[in-house]
Amino acid sequence: MDTGLKQSSKSAQTGNDPLLQNPRGEETDSFLQQWQNRFSFKQHPLEYIILGISLLVILIFAVMIDGFFTWGNLSIIARNATALTILGCGMAVVIISRGLDLSQISVMVAVSAVFGLLLTAGADYMIALLAAFLLAIVLGALNGWLIAYIEIPALMSTLATAMLIAGFCRWGFLQGEFLVLIPKELPEVIFFSTGKLSVFPVSVIIGIVVLIATYVLLSQTVLGRMVYAMGDNYISARLTGLSVRTATVFIYIFSAITACIAGIIVSSGSGTVDFRIVTNGTLLFEVIMVVVLGGIRLRGGRGGVFNLLIGVILISVLHNGMTLMNLSGQVQNLVKGLILISAIVIDNYINPRDAETDTQGDL
Amino acid sequence: MLKSVKRNICLGVATLLTAGLMSTASIASAASVYEGKKVIFIPIAMGITLTEGWSKGMEEQAKLNGFDYEVRDAAFNMKAMSEIFAKAINDKPDIIVAHNPTVQLLARLIRQAESNGIKVLQINLQSNQKSTAFVGANWSRIGREVAEDIVAACGEGSGKSGKVAIIPGQLTAADSVMMNEATMAVFEKHPEIEVVSNQASDWEPEKARQITATVLQQNPDLCAVFGHWGIHTIGAGNAVKDAGKADDVLVYATGGGNRVICNNIEAGVIDRYWSYNADGQGRDAGTMLRLMMQGAVPPEGGMLEVESPLIVIKKESFQPQQCWDLPAK
Repeated sequence: MDTGLKQSSKSAQTGNDPLLQNPRGEETDSFLQQWQNRFSFKQHPLEYIILGISLLVILIFAVMIDGFFTWGNLSIIARNATALTILGCGMAVVIISRGLDLSQISVMVAVSAVFGLLLTAGADYMIALLAAFLLAIVLGALNGWLIAYIEIPALMSTLATAMLIAGFCRWGFLQGEFLVLIPKELPEVIFFSTGKLSVFPVSVIIGIVVLIATYVLLSQTVLGRMVYAMGDNYISARLTGLSVRTATVFIYIFSAITACIAGIIVSSGSGTVDFRIVTNGTLLFEVIMVVVLGGIRLRGGRGGVFNLLIGVILISVLHNGMTLMNLSGQVQNLVKGLILISAIVIDNYINPRDAETDTQGDL
Repeated sequence: MLKSVKRNICLGVATLLTAGLMSTASIASAASVYEGKKVIFIPIAMGITLTEGWSKGMEEQAKLNGFDYEVRDAAFNMKAMSEIFAKAINDKPDIIVAHNPTVQLLARLIRQAESNGIKVLQINLQSNQKSTAFVGANWSRIGREVAEDIVAACGEGSGKSGKVAIIPGQLTAADSVMMNEATMAVFEKHPEIEVVSNQASDWEPEKARQITATVLQQNPDLCAVFGHWGIHTIGAGNAVKDAGKADDVLVYATGGGNRVICNNIEAGVIDRYWSYNADGQGRDAGTMLRLMMQGAVPPEGGMLEVESPLIVIKKESFQPQQCWDLPAK
């Protein structure tokens, strides 16, 4: 595996991410150089543009809306952004590997439904949690297997599994119903929805832990290096002997696990598991949007947790500010759509199509 | 004397026989009105207690009276719903039962169906386009009654802030449009009432939770939340509970009055609920189908209408029998 990584690093060097330029960094760049590269405006202009827009939006809201820049409101922003952040972590890893997981929300809803049904049936909380995680692992592995071994493109296979999972759950577990109620009176559910450790909400702490885990996965593990190598050039990564199939299965399992964690937090908060968000909701698009907005390109091989965080901050602050300004959902969607299109146009202007894109194509 | 008694008995028996024969003929003729007729129900989605309740009522009538009844589920897919409706027109049923997601979506198709001789019964959610019949709640009345209750609880003399958050399902849905208009008409007469937020949740409990949590943070003295549908209001109610404001903020909702919602009223997630009893609406829809098949004609420029009676369920006076259960499949 190490030999493969050394060989694949040659192709990865065509990119501008230090993780790709230098999978075994100590051999070429110093640690300081790596950090300088990481935060260089020249190498990551889009991130700084989005970060600048976010700061500008925060400033505007802070001036326009009384009580916007308060600890209480910032805490609400963080709590409302938790699920998006956790889902974004899973989606970011998938997209960096040049994949796409359209089944993420389906998995989230399915495992939360199983979790809720077990709790309602009187099962122990830990057993319900364990069952939800096991189901997530199975569903993630199914996605990974279809993509890696059956070689169905990620777009098609995860679209199919999204429909399959949601359909099976509604037909098999819910007899056609679309809603599962979570028993909010259980202390464990209360812990996830309103619990605090010191002054920090439990859900936010879980979000931070998932962010750190994703950072460690991407930057400190062999699997993380493989994710970048696969995203940069899948064929090269495969030809160099990397076990890309096994890696793909693990990547989709990781995505499903983030979906499971997000699902338990969301359902504990709202007291419901709502299957309509699979077919009608905009959550999946928001997850992809925060990932892309922060600078993680759909063509893969670039970006990291920092990029995701930038996207989440912008979208969450916009949500909160526009809600406080009492703007309608349509106007909110319009603003988000305009920002996403602007970001893509700016990205295309700053990073014009190159030989790499022409060879591999966009997603 | 005996002759006269005999004659009277014979006359009585003859009258009874004639009446019996006539009544059998009348039943037979009524039955023949329904035979061979076809009804297609196009709901926004099955799997909701509302639509399941309505369908149960209509299906019972179909089985009793011998007409065909079919459900074509749009499963929350609005594009599919238009296509399903267009296909239903091509299939030439006698009646289409339409559950309009918005006031515009099916308007043109309803007009086309009616002009093709297919009667359209709109159920609970009205389109901009009138048709032969409507069975459902009077949304303006619900909006007005809820607003008046909010004014009594939060308005002048209540000692409360008068701040209200409204959470419609979709701003273009018929119920949300009518309830918003009626509510605002009442609030305009009461300047002490301030609507601090009026944002749609797309019927999603989690979106309603996020909106309510944000609004509560900004307005800790909020007096009431009015969710236009019970299901998404569960999310709003849980946000109020989680913020520790269950005793200060009144949570209002409307809906079909199924047990799922009533469990949430009992648990203090929803405080006051205007139920239009979906089970009763199903029975009314079934009866309306029969009347339409018998040839009932709407008044000039209007529709045959049945307004659903309302049951106001309050947390403090909650009775389990105020709700209904969908029989297990």
